[in-house]
This record gives sequence, C-alpha cells and structure tokens, in this order.
Amino acid sequence: MAKGLDIGTMNIICSEREEEDVVFTQQRNAFMELESSDLTKTMLDSAKVLYIEKDARIYVLGEDAFKFATIFGKGTRRPMRYGIISPKEKDAIPMIKLIVERVLGEPAHRNEVLCISSPADTIDLDMNALYHKKMMESLARRMAYETHVIDEGLGVIYSELSDYNFTGLGISMGAGLTNVTLAYLATPVMSFSIGRGGDWIDEQVSITTGLPKDHVCATKEKGFKLGLEVEYGSADGALSIYYDALMTYIIKNLNRKLAEITPPKVEFPVALAGGSARPDGFLKMFERKLREAKLQIDISSIKLAKEPLYSVARGCLIAARTHEGEEKGEGETEESAG
Amino acid sequence: MDNTSSSGILQRGAFIYYVGSVIFAAGIALLAVGTAFVMIFRIHHGSEPEKIILCLIFTGVGTTLILTGINLMMRQTQYGYYIIGASAFISVLALLIFTSNYPHNWHYPLISYILALYVIGFLMLLGNAFANVILWMIEGKTEAVVGREGEIKLYTDEEIERDIEEATRKSIELSASELKFKEPSAGEVRFGKAFRESRGDTTRVKDDMGEERSLRKTLKPGEKVKSGVAEVDKISVLLGEAMKKRAIEKGRFGKIKEEIEESFKKLIYLVRLKR
Repeated sequence: MAKGLDIGTMNIICSEREEEDVVFTQQRNAFMELESSDLTKTMLDSAKVLYIEKDARIYVLGEDAFKFATIFGKGTRRPMRYGIISPKEKDAIPMIKLIVERVLGEPAHRNEVLCISSPADTIDLDMNALYHKKMMESLARRMAYETHVIDEGLGVIYSELSDYNFTGLGISMGAGLTNVTLAYLATPVMSFSIGRGGDWIDEQVSITTGLPKDHVCATKEKGFKLGLEVEYGSADGALSIYYDALMTYIIKNLNRKLAEITPPKVEFPVALAGGSARPDGFLKMFERKLREAKLQIDISSIKLAKEPLYSVARGCLIAARTHEGEEKGEGETEESAG
Repeated sequence: MDNTSSSGILQRGAFIYYVGSVIFAAGIALLAVGTAFVMIFRIHHGSEPEKIILCLIFTGVGTTLILTGINLMMRQTQYGYYIIGASAFISVLALLIFTSNYPHNWHYPLISYILALYVIGFLMLLGNAFANVILWMIEGKTEAVVGREGEIKLYTDEEIERDIEEATRKSIELSASELKFKEPSAGEVRFGKAFRESRGDTTRVKDDMGEERSLRKTLKPGEKVKSGVAEVDKISVLLGEAMKKRAIEKGRFGKIKEEIEESFKKLIYLVRLKR
C-alpha cells in the first residue's frame, strides 16, 4: 500500500489504490469559526457537519466551512496562503493538522510510503516553501508514514506525461500558486512557482465586480466557461479577463525562467492540471497563448489532465508506489542475496 | 632610462632599445661583409695580411656589435650596462691589439693573450645576455602567476544576487534537515460527531496506474530483469537433459568407432598372416 497527498491552498487530496480503482479523498483546506452553544452543536451534529470545539469556540472544517460561510455571509479562514502555511493565520497549524490527519487516515502499516506534493520556491514573492515542506513532512512522519516530497509540477508530469517518458512541462494551476516544472526523463530540469493562481483571479474579480470572493470562487468552479461572450454584470466576463491575464503572466515568467537554463534539444509536451485549470475553454485559450508566445523550447503538444483537480495527487501516488516498489525490490534482492 | 626596479631589474628605455637595435643591425652588416670578404678574398693561411686583418676586423667587430646590440635590447640589471661596456671594450681592444701586431709580432704568447682577451669580452657579453634572459623568464612567470591569481572576474548584480540566494537556500536547507518539530499543544479539543465518520468526499476512478512501471523504467533504465527461481530451475533441467543426451549419443558413437577400429585391426592382422 502507498498513498499520495496533495496539500493545496484550497484542497487537501489523498490518493490511494483500492483494487482496480484509485480513490481520491478530498477535503477543503478551510475552516470557519462560530460561537459555541448546545443548540449549534446539536444542529451541526444532526447535519453531520465536520467541526471541533476548542476554547468555547466551534470550528467548522472543510467543505462545510464554505457552505456555512455562504449561509452566514462570512468569509472562510484559510490555513494556507500562496501554497504554504499562512503566517497570518494563528490557527493555521492545528487546523491543517486536523484536516491532513483526517484526509490521510491511519497508515495501513507502519512506514507506509506516502508522497506529498510541495510548492517550488516562488519567483515573484519573497517566500520560501522549505519550512512548510519540512513541517508537512514531519506531520506525516509523526503519523507513522514514510514520507517523500515531490514538486507539484513534477506530480503533474508523473501523472500525465508517461507516454512521453516523463519528459515535458507540467503546470499545476492551483488556488494559491501556479507551479511549473520542466522535466527530462522524469528528472526535474527547472522548477518554480508563481504567486498567482485561482485565489488571485477571485480577488481581482471580487474587486472589479464587488461580489464576495467565495461567491466568485463558487461561480468559477460550477460550470464557468472561458469565453468572450458574457452577460452584463456577471462575474464571467471578469473571470475571463483575469484568466487571460494570469495565463499571460505565467507564460511570460516561464519564458524568463527558460532563458536562464539550457534545456535539452527535444520537443516538450505540456500538461496542464490543477483546480484552476478546470473551466471549459481553458486548454484552448492557454494553447493559443502559448503558441503565440514563442517559447525558448519547442512545444510538441498541449494537454489538459483528465482529472485536473486530482492530477497532482495521482502523480504523488505514482511516485509513492514507485518508491514502495523500489524498497520491495531492494528487500527481495537482500533476501535472495542472503 | 626607466629606473623602476621592483626585483633589481632596470627597465630599459626606448632610446637604449633603439640604439641596441641599430648596433645589432650594424653588427649583422659587418659580419656579413666580413664573411663576404673571406669568400671574395679566398682567405687562407697564405693570404695577404691586409686582407686577413680586414676580414677579421669586420667579422670580429660584427660579432661584438651583434652581442652588444642584443644586450642593449634587453632589460638590464643594475650593473648590466657597465658589463656590456667593459665586454665590448675588451673585445674591440683585443681586435686593435691584433691589428697593430699582425703579422710582424704575431707569435706566442701574444696570440694567446689577444685571443683570451677577445674570448673574455665575447663570453661576458654572451653570459650577460643569458643571465638577463633567465631573469626575464623568472620575472615573466611570476607576473603570469600573479596575473592568474589576481584575475578579477566581473559579476553582474543578477549573478551576485543568484549566488547569495543559492548560498542562503543551502544554508536554510542544512538547518531544516536538522529541524525537529514538537507536537503542538492543541489544548482541550472536542470533536464533533461527524469527525470520525468519514475522511472526506471520495471519488473513485478506474485506473490501472501503468505509469508506475514506466516511471520505474525511466528512472532506472539499466535495471536488471529478474526471472524467478523456477525459471532458472527449468532451464537447468533442460540443459542437464541436453547434456545427458549428448553424452549418450557420444557413448553410442564411441562404441561404433571402437568396433570399426577393432575390425580394421583384425583385417590388418589377417593380411599380415597371409603374407
């Protein structure tokens, strides 16, 4: 058994193999604070809402936090910002710990292999992902998992580019960050992240339209189609504009980073994934912009992950199972040698 | 003349260098003329003394001037110019004594003195030039070493920034590798009823995860293909059977061969008996 875990700014997704299937267990990486009272607790228990009570306060966790935020007209609190644990959120660490423990579950056996995704260092924000990475690694180890960490972009490559010998460009457009990895034969050549993602789009649209951020996010996630024909006053027009702006920003930065390296002289396929890559028309728009940009590398094809939201978690599972297989192989070799 | 002498060596001035060049050229010309005279006059021991004097003066002065010119074109030590002057003077003096004494007083031991005098001057010029070349080489090497070590590479601000970032990143990584987190004290936490019921929303996807094998192959392309013990055993049995068969066949053929040989021997024996 092995597991993959994608710790994203918006979602925490665990992936594991069950017979012929891959099961993805997901929880929103958000919480909301409520006043504690017996009535509230009874109501939450009867509605099977995920919550904890601490210091006479109730914290609703995960997806339910979003639902309650809409009902109460309040915003959710997010333990992570820009792909790492939010330094501005005082309850971030205990909350993320609770969510991770819940999503991940107990290991099937001691030292079950787990592969966690981690953001690469950003090129446009003054932040380092190392502390976050170490903390997540430590959290999983404490739960008796044997933990490995890979870049989010590499997770996309593992999941989507096996037909190309794991050579290509993996782009994961998450909520907090956009992670990019260029790999050659499964080995990262370049990895970086950009401090803009779905959250940035939500913020910009919210500022422009006056709609609450969570509402914009919900619109974006439910049947939004990227296009140029939109209704007056709807969030769709603003979303399209800011998606366009984000794509331009990503491609510009990608080209800038590519100029700093000497990539192998091969054609690279591109795989797009992440929760923010789900809207209809995303692939078409990104492909057009990428072809227009004249990148410093040759692009062979551009594809969107079959399950953009689960792509990184799936890549982590592939990496974890590969590690597990290697360990088993080594064990067998040692046994046979003995 | 430049007098910068960091290691006791004087820099020769441009003027002396040009004078040296002219003297060197004049020496070559005189030597060439002297050699030409030797060939034109067909000098031998019985040649006319005037012709011999003329040839020797040209070649002797020419040789001295060549060496003097070479010395002057080089950097000189503090006493270098005195040595050049004295050496050239000695050589020319030897030639003058020769001209004034040849052929009437041309006998030993005067010949030896004159020859010795010329040779001393000649060797002093040669030695001075050689010593200066060596000094120049040592000095040049030192300069080359200093130049290499003291070479200043210019870095752009971006490169410096990247280097600093890289160093900082390495330092942080090193510190982080030794980092140990303590369990955060959560205080008194009570979990809601739903907390232990399910882990979260689940999505089940049919997936054979074929990428796992591809990834292993890509990461370790040279990995050995393991075949089971049963396979090895099977191959061993087959090989054993094949070897057994061969041995039996070999045994059969060996018997036939022995029978044929026996028959031949009998035949030969019978033929001999008949004879």
